[in-house]
This record gives sequence, structure tokens and C-alpha cells, in this order.
Amino acid sequence: MSITAFFFYFFAAALILASLAVVLARNPLYNVLSLVAAIFALSSLFILLEAFFVGVILILVYAGAVLIFFLFVVMCLNLNSTAMTSINQGRFRLLGAVIGVLFFGEIFLAIQVFLKAGAMPPSSIRGTIETIGQILFTDYLLPFELTSLLLLIAIFGIVSLAKGALSTGVAPTKAGDR
Amino acid sequence: MIGLGNYLILSGIIFSIGVVGVITSRNMLKVLLSLELLLAASNLSFVAFSRFNGDYTGQLIVFFVILVAAVEVAVGLAIIVLMYRHFATIQVDELKDLKW
Repeated sequence: MSITAFFFYFFAAALILASLAVVLARNPLYNVLSLVAAIFALSSLFILLEAFFVGVILILVYAGAVLIFFLFVVMCLNLNSTAMTSINQGRFRLLGAVIGVLFFGEIFLAIQVFLKAGAMPPSSIRGTIETIGQILFTDYLLPFELTSLLLLIAIFGIVSLAKGALSTGVAPTKAGDR
Repeated sequence: MIGLGNYLILSGIIFSIGVVGVITSRNMLKVLLSLELLLAASNLSFVAFSRFNGDYTGQLIVFFVILVAAVEVAVGLAIIVLMYRHFATIQVDELKDLKW
């Protein structure tokens, strides 16, 4: 087994285990932390695919910002044990398992058919900051600038959501919620 | 030899796990986390295709997906906090009323 194959299977196993923990763990704190682990494994796979820039951005933005935001919310909500544990009802779990297996079978068949066309050798592109940045600031300049508008709209939306709740005096239904 | 198929199968496994999570979770936070898994799986297949096709476009799309996912999470979590303030729960099936 080559070193690349070893790393692929190692990080693939880590990614699958962490994803299962995201779905199956009962405590929301463990869910969020497993997603952090899954993002790190995914980033390692990106780097294995020589997409260095995207891999680093994934760690910075996802593990660094988004999931810490999740953790803040989990802590702020101060969920007690009954609200925290998501009680999965048996029938929903069965339904979910059946749909998941069927879904994966479908994807597997689609990939098998697709791969019959012939195996592609890996190309020699390297997604470094230089190459990605060159394309980002020439061909994709307009979408890149538009994302700033998207972020601005998101800020307005969140502020208006938070302010609306405060100014209209939406009272918490239970005392001591916050 | 690790080929495109290995990455696509892995992406399919992660996507299926995420679908199961979205269906079975009753906790709003877990639904959002499972949505992140779905995005991660599609990101993986984008990067794998980019690598094996020799085209940088896939990696740029992943860059934009990460940006949009950050926005989605911010708005989603704001809604969850509002929901918790209003209903004192974040169970999805408590939301039976159309009007607050």
C-alpha cells in the first residue's frame, strides 16, 4: 500500500467515524466537536488532493469561525438535559436508516456507471494561493465581489432578527431562559 | 491506487449520513449540523473532480460554498436563538403553529 493510499484510508475512516458521531451522539456539544473533527479530516483529504488553499480556508472558516459560533450558541442556550438530548423516535430512526441505505445505494450505482467510462489519472494541478487567487481575481471577480454583498445582507438580517425580538418585547416563555 | 471513484464513494457515504441526520434529528441544532455534513460531502466531490479533471473551477466553487455556508449558519443560528427565546425549546416538532 502506497503512502497516499494509507493516508486516504486513514482520513476517510476518521471522516466517516466523525460524521457518524455528528448524527448519533446525544449531547449537542459532542455533535459540534465531532463536526470539528470531521472538518479536519476533510481538510486533510483536500490537501491530499493538492487543493491546499481550499483546505486551509476550510479549517480557518469552518473549524475556526462557524463551529465556534455553534459552540457559543450551544453554551448560550443553556439547554438542560431533557431539552438537550434529542429523543429520536424509533420509527423516524428506522425510516432514516432505510432512506439512508437506499440513498447510498443509488449514489453507488450512479458512480459505478460513471466510472465504467474509464479511470481518469490524476492531473498535476496544485490549488495553491497563487493559482486560485489568479483565477479568483480575473474570471471570478464579479461573484467574489457579490459575496461581500451577501455577507452584508446576512449582517442586516441577523441584526434585524435580534433587534426585532428585543424591540417588540418578545418575552421568553419561561423565566430565566437567557 | 486511489482514484476518483474512492473519493466519490466516500463523498456518497458522508452525504448519506447527513441525509439520515436531517431526517432523524428532532433537535434544530443537529439538523443544521447535518446540513453542514451535506455541504462537506459535496465539497469533497467538487475538489476530487477538480483534481482529476485538471480544472480549478471546482476549487473556486468550494470557496464560494464555504462562504455561503457561513452566511447560512449565521442566519440559521440567529433563528434558533429566537426560537429558543419564544418557545423555550429547539425541538423541531414543537413548531406546529404557522403564526407566532
